[in-house]
Amino acid sequence: MTTENVTLPGHDLHGGGAPAPPHRISQGMLVMILFLGSEAMLFASFFTAYFMIRFNIAANDWPPIRNTATGARFVLPKGITAVNTVFLVSSSFTLWWGEHRFKKGDRKSLERGLLVTIFLGLTFLVIQLNEYAHLGFTPQNKAFGSVFYSLTGLHGFHVLVGLILLTICYVRTRRARDFTPTRATVLGAASLYWHFVDVVWVILFLLVYLL
Amino acid sequence: MATHAPTHAHTDHGHGPGHHAPARPLSYWWKRAFVAVVTGVLFALGLVWFCRWAFGFTPLWEPQAYFTAIFIFAGIGFLIGIGCFDWWWDYLRGHRVSYEDHSMHGATSWKDYCRPNTDHKVIGIQYLVVTFATFVIAGLFAEAVRIQLAQPGEQFVNAQTYNGLFSEHATLMIFGFVIPVFAGLANYVLPIMIGAKDMAFPRLNALSFWLLVVGAVLLVLAPAFGAFSSGWTAYPPLALQGTTGTTMFEIAVQFVGASSIATALNFMVTIVTMRAPGMTVWRMPLLVWANMTTSALVVFGTPFIAGSQFMSLYDRVLGTSFFNAANGGDVVMYQHVFWFYSHPAVYIMMLPGFGIASEVIATFSRKPIFGYRAIAFSTVAIAILGFGVWAHHMFVSGMASWIRIPMMMTTIVIAIPTGIKIFSWLGTMWGGKIHLKTPMLFAMGFIVAFTVGGLSGVFLGSVPVDINVHSTYFIVAHIHYVLFGGSVMTIFAGTYYWFPKMTGRMYNETLGKWHFWLTFVGLNLTFFPMHWLGTQGMPRRVSDYAPRFANVNFFISMASILMVLGTIVFFYNMITSWHSGPRAPWNPWRGRTMEWLVSSPPSLFNFDAVPQVVGGPYQYGIPGARHAIVFAGPELGGGELTETEKRLILVVADQAVASQVLIDDVRKRNAEGFWRFTFVVPSTTTDHRAAERRLQVALAVLAESGIDANGTVIDAPPMQAIDKVMREENVHEIILTTFPVGSSPWLDQDLVDRARKATRVAVTHVTIRPNDARGAVDSKSVQRVAIVANVDIDNAGLAALVQARSDTQPLTAVVLCPLSLDGPGWSDEAEEIRTEASGRTATLIARLQEAGIQSRGEVIDGTPADAVRLARTAHHANVVLIASRPGDPITETDEITAAARGMSVEYVTTDGQASTAPGAAEGR
Ligand code: HEM
Ligand SMILES: [Cu+2]
Repeated sequence: MTTENVTLPGHDLHGGGAPAPPHRISQGMLVMILFLGSEAMLFASFFTAYFMIRFNIAANDWPPIRNTATGARFVLPKGITAVNTVFLVSSSFTLWWGEHRFKKGDRKSLERGLLVTIFLGLTFLVIQLNEYAHLGFTPQNKAFGSVFYSLTGLHGFHVLVGLILLTICYVRTRRARDFTPTRATVLGAASLYWHFVDVVWVILFLLVYLL
Repeated sequence: MATHAPTHAHTDHGHGPGHHAPARPLSYWWKRAFVAVVTGVLFALGLVWFCRWAFGFTPLWEPQAYFTAIFIFAGIGFLIGIGCFDWWWDYLRGHRVSYEDHSMHGATSWKDYCRPNTDHKVIGIQYLVVTFATFVIAGLFAEAVRIQLAQPGEQFVNAQTYNGLFSEHATLMIFGFVIPVFAGLANYVLPIMIGAKDMAFPRLNALSFWLLVVGAVLLVLAPAFGAFSSGWTAYPPLALQGTTGTTMFEIAVQFVGASSIATALNFMVTIVTMRAPGMTVWRMPLLVWANMTTSALVVFGTPFIAGSQFMSLYDRVLGTSFFNAANGGDVVMYQHVFWFYSHPAVYIMMLPGFGIASEVIATFSRKPIFGYRAIAFSTVAIAILGFGVWAHHMFVSGMASWIRIPMMMTTIVIAIPTGIKIFSWLGTMWGGKIHLKTPMLFAMGFIVAFTVGGLSGVFLGSVPVDINVHSTYFIVAHIHYVLFGGSVMTIFAGTYYWFPKMTGRMYNETLGKWHFWLTFVGLNLTFFPMHWLGTQGMPRRVSDYAPRFANVNFFISMASILMVLGTIVFFYNMITSWHSGPRAPWNPWRGRTMEWLVSSPPSLFNFDAVPQVVGGPYQYGIPGARHAIVFAGPELGGGELTETEKRLILVVADQAVASQVLIDDVRKRNAEGFWRFTFVVPSTTTDHRAAERRLQVALAVLAESGIDANGTVIDAPPMQAIDKVMREENVHEIILTTFPVGSSPWLDQDLVDRARKATRVAVTHVTIRPNDARGAVDSKSVQRVAIVANVDIDNAGLAALVQARSDTQPLTAVVLCPLSLDGPGWSDEAEEIRTEASGRTATLIARLQEAGIQSRGEVIDGTPADAVRLARTAHHANVVLIASRPGDPITETDEITAAARGMSVEYVTTDGQASTAPGAAEGR
């Protein structure tokens, strides 16, 4: 075997910016997938808490909070949250579209896709915060409040992180221009993260709001 | 420190110089870190104050809320300040960055170890140093616990403080030592084992280490803020009553957890994507298997402890009600979430140790490992099953009771893959040619102790037994057999095993064995009686106990001192060997895995060309089998890179060549078994005979101890002489011997540095004091000649005679000048004679030394016979030469014969002719 011009495995891959050998998944994508596994477990720990707290209470008593004025059982705002869910889910599609166009060499569309996604994400956060302000109970109200706020808050925090990642991608697309259609690991990883955050929200919405 | 093997000097790896940021002094980084920490603290204060004010929380001052934010932001500030995020900061601003930025890679001085570094080898050593430091601190806490428990009654500390002591001890050991130390060892060796030049994400790797530092510092500082006292498990509601110390614990766990997740991700990606060509999964060393599996456990398990600590923190700081039963909270939920991580965590603390044991046992048994696939599969099986047994810690917690039986079954099932491993190791040793080096001793000790711990674990897995002994000393015995007898023993095994690779030096084998026996005996004496205490009902986590347990506890406390002694021996050995141990060859244990196929320590990027894996890693004793081929870089012309059979050390010395110090040094190096030596005596004087004679003495001594050495006198100044040899031979290292600064012309010419620069091989400088160089060496093959000579002897003639003799037989000389003065010794006349005599003796000695004969001597009061006696008794002479003038000969007397007691005596006269030599009187 000759040793000229050989690079070691992974030689030009760290940092995750370089192209993956065709037969392999890139290091950046792989680490993001595994990291999302870890994130999923973090959410799982809070879901565990949620269900254990919920199962301690009779099914018709859930959520264990009553309207102070009317005494009626409290109901989470399903309608507005459903609309919010639509915003977040659609942001996944706008991001996908940007990436898809970029693979065809259309950098401008990627920028637009990113901007729209970021905008939708921000909208989601604002609506969520607005919901917090009007819910009428706090994290200190019963274990239900604690686990509700920590689950949605943890998710909200992830949305924030996702937005930061997407902003970084936007900055790099515009300023550094170092993504190329075949070589955009960071972009790929950030969008994977964003899709994950979406999926978690859908699950959260189903389990906490609807179930 | 880990300097890099000179043959592998890293010459610009093809990255433009433009990437390299100007090097900043160390103080720059630490000043920045300090400023950032202060900023972080102020920011935290402001943030919390603002939030509390904005949300109208009263009171505005709630200490735990502030402390929480302070510790978090101080930690993050530190990481930013020390420079962990510099590269990413450029990245996120859209600046041009280099993915191949190696400006923080590698270390040339200790300073490079004190700031973020992206070289996995440097990071590995950083980890080891920090974690062993935590080990010491945690060990001190353990001894404090044992002092308190030596007698019943609360003699030293109260219950509250005591709780703090054992909680600190366990937390530091687990989160600050066992978990991260394995990450450190694997960091160093794993990339090399798979043929990679670094980890997949070097900057993330650096960040992981500094995250650990933040966590460890928080844990160590916690006692100063009122230690947390609810044990390392931090169960609510007890933990909820804690103060600042508890806050620090909860935040430290997050930092340490983030650190281990980041490392685990890094390991997984490295193992998946960066294996050398030919390294299929079934050719991976078992340590790689173990770390892959452990990493999966970390990645999927650690978020659960993070979750549990978040909830606990929220409850204490934000007033939530996760664990407040009155508000619908659930304390048992904490235990579920906690143990869902913490049971897998015990395998996080053990699987890498299994990996180390597999490496060590195969290498030192010189046999292919027994059941490679069985070991690999059982590792994976343990990891998977490990997620399904957590509730065996909760049999008496009041959880739903139907969980008990399934958990009991899964727990007991786990014993099967564990047993497979134990038997595979035994099978490997069976019929092997076992070398009982320190790493192997520790690995064998591990098998024994871990089996005991594993068995008591099976006991505990069974519900009825556990209900009886839960929260007793039986548990303490169990965890220490598995953690100390298991994890810590393998950590020691691994540390000794790779010490030569990491430091380039050998540790002291004798001290290593002392360490092992002290530890192993101490461990069993300390922890075995705890089983009995537990079954008799002594509860754990108590500062006081029933008087009937007094004797056993006293015994345990005494026995634990053995481990302390062992640990002291360990650190002494590590520190002195690192500093001045003999140089390590590439492959001291004749291992097969790839880390042994590169130099010790490895070069900057481990490999200069892609290695090729051609077979399994443990095919010991199979003719022709190989694991991998490592190639030399293009500068060396490609081709396979090997350490030659015996590598050459060039010893350069002038007058000091025959000194005991140098010879001892050479002997020590030779003991490593990899060296041959060429001595060169550069000589620029006209008379080479002197140099020749010294050289002969040295070579005679070395030949006597069976050392492969030759030598020449080269008629040239030292640099030229070195150059000449370097051109002819493949020299691997140079030992340069000089007199100390001030008395050495070579040092005045800066020879050591020049040699280093000119030859690019390692140069070891040995200084020898002139007196040591001229004194006699101690060896059978060098004759010791005592010269008994009268005052008025002809020096030149005598010297010529001794020189002639020394040309046929290497010798050293002792000159004894007997003076028997009649009358009072204090007269002027006597004084004069004395002065004269010592003057002449000194001249003779100087003459001989100049001629290259090591000599010393003195004037004595007495007759020639007294001198002969002294020569025999004090100087251990082999031969006595009695010299006199032809006109006034000393002849044989009965006294002299008696004094000689069989030592051969020769009579010479100063005209250089031996007179009659009737001496050789064989007495007795
Ligand atoms: C010099 C060696 C050591 C001594 C003398 C020692 C002593 C002790 C003692 C007396 C306790 C029980 C305190 C109590 O419950 O009242 C304890 C607890 C513990 N130790 Fe050690 N220890 C040593 C080394 C280690 C090592 C190396 C580890 C881990 C790798 C370790 C991990 C633990 C753990 C996990 C606990 C249990 C904490 C808990 O759950 O309450 N120890 N140790
Ligand atoms: Cu367990």
